[in-house]
Amino acid sequence: MTGSLRSALASMVSEGTLIPQEERGRWTGPGWSPELPSAVVAPTREDELAGILGKASEEGWRVLPAGFGSWIRGGGPREVDLVLSTRRMTRILEYEPADLTFTAEAGISLGSLHDITSPHGQWLPLDPPGGSKGSLGATVVLGAAGPLRHHYGTPRDHVLGLTLVAGDGRVLRWGGRVVKNVAGFDLTRLTVGSWGALGIVTSVSARLFPIPESDVTMVFCASEVAELLPAARSMALSPLPLAAVELVDSLALEEHGVPEAALLVRLLGSTPQVEEMASRITNDLQDSGGRTLKLQGDRSRALFQKLEGWEDGAGLVARLSMLPSELGTLLEEAEGLRPLATGWSDPGATMSLSAQVGTGVLRLKISDLPGTAERLDPWIIAFRDLRGRLEEKGGSLVLHSGPSVLMEEVGPWGAPGLERHLLEGLKAEFDPAGILARGRFGLE
Amino acid sequence: MKALPPNLLEELAAAVGPDWVISDPDRLLVYESDAQTAHNVAPQAVVLPSDTDQASQVARVLHRHQIPLVPRGAGTGLSGGALATRGGVVVGTSRMNKILEVDPSNRRAVVQSGVLNTDLSDATAPHGLHYAPDPSSQAACTIGGNVAENSGGPHCLKYGVTSRYITGLRVVLPDGTTVWLGGQGREAPSFDLVGLFVGSEGCFGLATEVEVALTPLPEAVETLLAIFETLEDAGRAVTSIVSAGLLPAALEIVDRNTIKAVEASIFAAGYPTDAGAALVVEFDGVEAGLAEEAEKAEEFCKAAGAREVRRAESAEERLALWKGRKKAFGTMGRLAPDLLVQDATVPRTRLPEVLASIAEIADRYQLQVANVFHAGDGNLHPNIVFDRRDAEETRRVEAASKEIMGVCVDAGGTITGEHGVGADKQKYMHLVFSPGELEVLRRVKGVFDPDGRCNPGKVVPEDEAPSEAGPNERTEAKS
Repeated sequence: MTGSLRSALASMVSEGTLIPQEERGRWTGPGWSPELPSAVVAPTREDELAGILGKASEEGWRVLPAGFGSWIRGGGPREVDLVLSTRRMTRILEYEPADLTFTAEAGISLGSLHDITSPHGQWLPLDPPGGSKGSLGATVVLGAAGPLRHHYGTPRDHVLGLTLVAGDGRVLRWGGRVVKNVAGFDLTRLTVGSWGALGIVTSVSARLFPIPESDVTMVFCASEVAELLPAARSMALSPLPLAAVELVDSLALEEHGVPEAALLVRLLGSTPQVEEMASRITNDLQDSGGRTLKLQGDRSRALFQKLEGWEDGAGLVARLSMLPSELGTLLEEAEGLRPLATGWSDPGATMSLSAQVGTGVLRLKISDLPGTAERLDPWIIAFRDLRGRLEEKGGSLVLHSGPSVLMEEVGPWGAPGLERHLLEGLKAEFDPAGILARGRFGLE
Repeated sequence: MKALPPNLLEELAAAVGPDWVISDPDRLLVYESDAQTAHNVAPQAVVLPSDTDQASQVARVLHRHQIPLVPRGAGTGLSGGALATRGGVVVGTSRMNKILEVDPSNRRAVVQSGVLNTDLSDATAPHGLHYAPDPSSQAACTIGGNVAENSGGPHCLKYGVTSRYITGLRVVLPDGTTVWLGGQGREAPSFDLVGLFVGSEGCFGLATEVEVALTPLPEAVETLLAIFETLEDAGRAVTSIVSAGLLPAALEIVDRNTIKAVEASIFAAGYPTDAGAALVVEFDGVEAGLAEEAEKAEEFCKAAGAREVRRAESAEERLALWKGRKKAFGTMGRLAPDLLVQDATVPRTRLPEVLASIAEIADRYQLQVANVFHAGDGNLHPNIVFDRRDAEETRRVEAASKEIMGVCVDAGGTITGEHGVGADKQKYMHLVFSPGELEVLRRVKGVFDPDGRCNPGKVVPEDEAPSEAGPNERTEAKS
């Protein structure tokens, strides 16, 4: 297949679109056979991208959409013949600062976008894992958000419209660049968070916000995460417009000079607002125990930038989610896994956690997992049991990425609900040949 | 439209009880239109289930007989969305009015879809929380209706529209199957079916229970009313406020014709009748620094030529400043018997030129337009007052209306910002969607409603090509 696929592509794409074969290695998914993907393409134009998808649908080539490839292993994608990257589609198509909206091609990085909007005092308040290195398109398609979600929400709350090239090459434009739009069904929201299973997003229009005048993070430290639970819950229920409330264990901030567990409360707004909030929450949490740090401006930003890179290089990332009031349960469940990590002897896996207090999402990161299948057995059993317990209580466990054996055995996603046939119906409409992002959401 | 099968009403009565099936033609008249009275079609029957189980049984009966199912909330919609334009049975949510759970520790609530918007906020206020989306009809409209239309409201500038606040939906699909989409704050490994369902205008199924996210009540509010000689000056003030990085909770404008209508009514709010426009600016949040933001906004208004800026010193004064804006729709009736409410949205910076074009179009067709709009969002409500009994004037209204839509779309805008497409704006859908995109919309509906029985004849035009004989005409020919 490899040779014929590459030659078919070479005859239809423009120069530079077909990525040299020697760079293929970094575009492979978990557990794929070594000869896959057969090719990687990165077109610069929407029509070329649509042509490639059309051809792929006709030929039955399996395709995985990508931006820069940072998330390529996420969500347990099955083997593909072709990785289609938007990383060379990086233009800003429209930016009118007074409208606080922009339209850009999907391959622009969040960092480059920020460089363009920040001179106008504007930003897209998203801090997903991977941070400014990630592409706009991938952030939107994965619905990825970080600590700022507490106040600003997720991509579904910011995206105003997008262009989706469906699996068979149809170019579909949904929404627009106005902040209120109810014409037709909301296929913009259907696409946000669809993990590439419906098509490839080539451009995005989104809303921007004024960059707040003041940026302060209050850091409440303790020796154990559990000691901070009451403080965390009280911040989750604070009537103040807190920008982020994140609970991290002692490993998360080690390099930042904070060798303890910490509750991070980020405050964004005008200087009087932020100062008022800082003094009120310090007062509220004065009994929380440990020392309190106040990080201003660049130090506050740097701390959260550091957290954006928290998942980088992790052997396994899992997302546990329950109602926010069950934060204590989530922490207990996470701690329940720690003996597996610390009990590991050669050289020992490390486990770290970071919880979004207001949304009830706890991220678990495990590094240096054992490499062999049999030594992963205890982890497989532990994650299966954990998923069972969480789902019983209305929660969920998503294995975002991990060793392929573990992903295969546990499954990245939870049990499908009664709405399964709706997912399959929608998938079939947008990707009739079933070539896109196979395996994500368990859809084939 | 075919007659209902003989035993249908009995089967429906078996599902909900005989008192809750309406088939008397006089009583059906209540359901023949919504708040946009241009469309009038009475349904063949109305059925009022009290919970999800009853609604599911009703849907099964209608499915068995292949009868259209038309969901309806309080009937305050403005696009003819809740009418049985293709015949069939209206399923109303008025008895499903129970708040099932208020969960302050997770800032969420679960309600039946017939609960009124303000009733939900009233029930959560003791916990210091509210349901943020606040459509002007909030005292009468239902959460289920808000879900169907993805409703907005004046404070959506800061808080966002309905879809931001809906986290779960219990839906009765057209075949009677019941599914939970999202819910329990779950990070569902799924497409965003909740996001897709919100704004689907009753075409995918009947939402019977809704999980919503609640928002803390702001501890302080600052409200200004600025009076301008011209609409353009008011528009410039809005641009300055937003460009300066201020984020008001609301930025609302009423124009000269609207001020005149309001001031001549019993809702007179004390707006000067010789003014060109009035702008309401509101900030909310933490008390510290809020007054400074309001002062900055006041300076921008004055720099843009405001002849007067009033600042509310109390809750009563705040209500008074808002009054002229909130009562605007209701007082239009003083100008003429009929009102065509438009709902286009344009990029905010294009507002001045679009408003000038609307004025020019109105002049050319010798019509009176009164503008009320969410200026911060670029969401316009140019209201054309007329007398439907005057056929010639009605034709001019239709023509002007179409031109206004064209101007808004050409400016990078869209045909509806918060009222929905319904039966009213299908004829404009081709302005914003290609034939291929319209086909995808039809097929996405088909995933939920394979028989095409759920609120048929709405949102997506059934004919491929743009047609002069739009659904307006079809509706009227039927009634």
